[in-house]
Amino acid sequence: MTAESPKSQDSPPLSSGENNDGLDELIDDPSLEALRDILFSQYRQQIDTLETELDGLEQRIENKDAFVAMIAPVLGDAIRRKVRDARPEMIEALYPIVGQMVVRAVSESMQDLARSIDAQMRRSFNVGTWGRRMQAEAKGVSSAEMILRESLPFEVAEIFLIHRESGLLLWHISRDPDSDSDSDLISGMLTAIRDFTEESFGRGREGQLDEIQYGERRILIEAAQYVYLAVVIDGIEPPGFRTEMRERVIEVSQAHEAALRQYDGDPTPLEPIEEPLKSLITASKPVQLSSGQKRFLVGVSALMAVCLLTSCLTGAWMWQITHPAPTPVVIEPSPTPTFTVTPSPTLTPTPTPTFTPTPTATPTFTPTPTSTPTFTPTPVVGMMMGNVWLHADASIDSPRLGVILAEGRPVEILAAAGNWYRVRWSPPGEAEVTGWAPAQWVGTLGAIPEQIITPTSTPF
Amino acid sequence: MANVSKKVCLLGDFAVGKTSLVRRFVYNRFDDKYLSTIGVKVSRKTVSVPHHDQIMALTLMLWDLAGSEEFSAMRASYLRGAAGGILVCDLTRPETLNSLFSYVEDLSRLNPKARLILAANKHDLVDQHQLSETEIATAADQLNISYYLTSAKTGNEVESLFRQLGRQLI
Repeated sequence: MTAESPKSQDSPPLSSGENNDGLDELIDDPSLEALRDILFSQYRQQIDTLETELDGLEQRIENKDAFVAMIAPVLGDAIRRKVRDARPEMIEALYPIVGQMVVRAVSESMQDLARSIDAQMRRSFNVGTWGRRMQAEAKGVSSAEMILRESLPFEVAEIFLIHRESGLLLWHISRDPDSDSDSDLISGMLTAIRDFTEESFGRGREGQLDEIQYGERRILIEAAQYVYLAVVIDGIEPPGFRTEMRERVIEVSQAHEAALRQYDGDPTPLEPIEEPLKSLITASKPVQLSSGQKRFLVGVSALMAVCLLTSCLTGAWMWQITHPAPTPVVIEPSPTPTFTVTPSPTLTPTPTPTFTPTPTATPTFTPTPTSTPTFTPTPVVGMMMGNVWLHADASIDSPRLGVILAEGRPVEILAAAGNWYRVRWSPPGEAEVTGWAPAQWVGTLGAIPEQIITPTSTPF
Repeated sequence: MANVSKKVCLLGDFAVGKTSLVRRFVYNRFDDKYLSTIGVKVSRKTVSVPHHDQIMALTLMLWDLAGSEEFSAMRASYLRGAAGGILVCDLTRPETLNSLFSYVEDLSRLNPKARLILAANKHDLVDQHQLSETEIATAADQLNISYYLTSAKTGNEVESLFRQLGRQLI
């Protein structure tokens, strides 16, 4: 069944002279309404069905979860097909997202590496790391960054000085003396590539090709009015290297302006430019001190050491002045002691048996054992805390014995009286010395036993 | 022995044999693919030329410029600083001789002192020649340059061509 327009050719024509009332009557005619039902009922059902489906679809789109569930099965296939059919387009579209993700991931990895190295640096200590740490502090970077920077390889492989207009090689320096002799061809092609780049991409713009990279190797380019400098490097150039390049090329360009403006292909007059160019190779290497500089540094170091030693000695002397010792001179004890006191407890039994043969039957036997036991003091070990005169008695007024016990001597403390100790020093192989010393100069490990404390200063 | 370098450009229409001339006798390091990528390839030819009763080693840095139209915009850049030019035409295609005049104009505008020489190439294809030596000589005379009938295939006059240009450059 085909749909027919409500204004089919079978409909009664309306004359242009009929008014609107007549039209309304015709529209409200029940028979016409019945006819409409017959003709359009199928379409009305279809429209209702479509409306229902459209409502459902709208609900699913508005419901995020339902929408995701709806497109998920086909999304993967759609992306795969798109990547397969339009790879460059997909890369271009995804690069802003993926590129940032990669950059962030790499950055975080580098930070982790830096932290790891830094932690290692802090755990270990040696002169090198200490020096590096000081240098890092001075430069305002972490020692880890210093190590990273130092570990980044950088070396100048070749230097080309090229005539800007003709591409002819003016001077070439290589770290490899056996390098091939195609440097003139390279300079020509490099110039061609440079011209091509400028012609293709530089129209109406300021700027020029300043770098070409191939893997780890890069060509840094700095141009002046008549010449340009191309430096082939491995690794990452240190800060300021480009400035150094720029200065060199401008210096050369200005110094040989006449020869370069109308260069005739003969590089002989340009020989003096080799030294400024070589300085770029020197700049890329770690600073090496000359033998003269090394000697100077050694001399300065020695002078500083002498100054430090002098300061220490002066300080010690000043300390001694402000804190006087009993005597500034140590006199070793004479081999023959002049005074020896040997405390020997004496047990004096005095048996006096008396036998009187008298007729008296009462013999008298009077044993009078007079036993006077005195204790044997247990030696207490001490150590001299200063250089001290030994005295004959426990008094500063008592005569000196002519012996000074030097600081650090081990002594036996035989007795104590007041603030004095009676000490004995027994040098190996020599005669022992005994005398009294102020207690403040004799260090002990423990308390002095009461048995050796004597209320009097009388020597034993 | 003194060593002097000069930049020399090879000019001519597409397929006249410029690259073949270069390939025949000069030292190549770079692949010919550079011609189709950036429109030029640099090669080297060293010739010995007399100069002030001495023999001088002259290094010709040969810039082989692509003859196709697509690189015509680049040509001016590549011509800068050229001390000489080798104009190459194809003896089997007369139109290649006529177009040399525009190349000369380009080169002379940038380098008024540039020395030129004409190489009428493919001399070995005798049966296909559509240019006579008279026509070549006339064109060379109009340009006030010398000419050589060369064959990159057989090597005929190729060495003489470079040597002659070398003498002109010194």
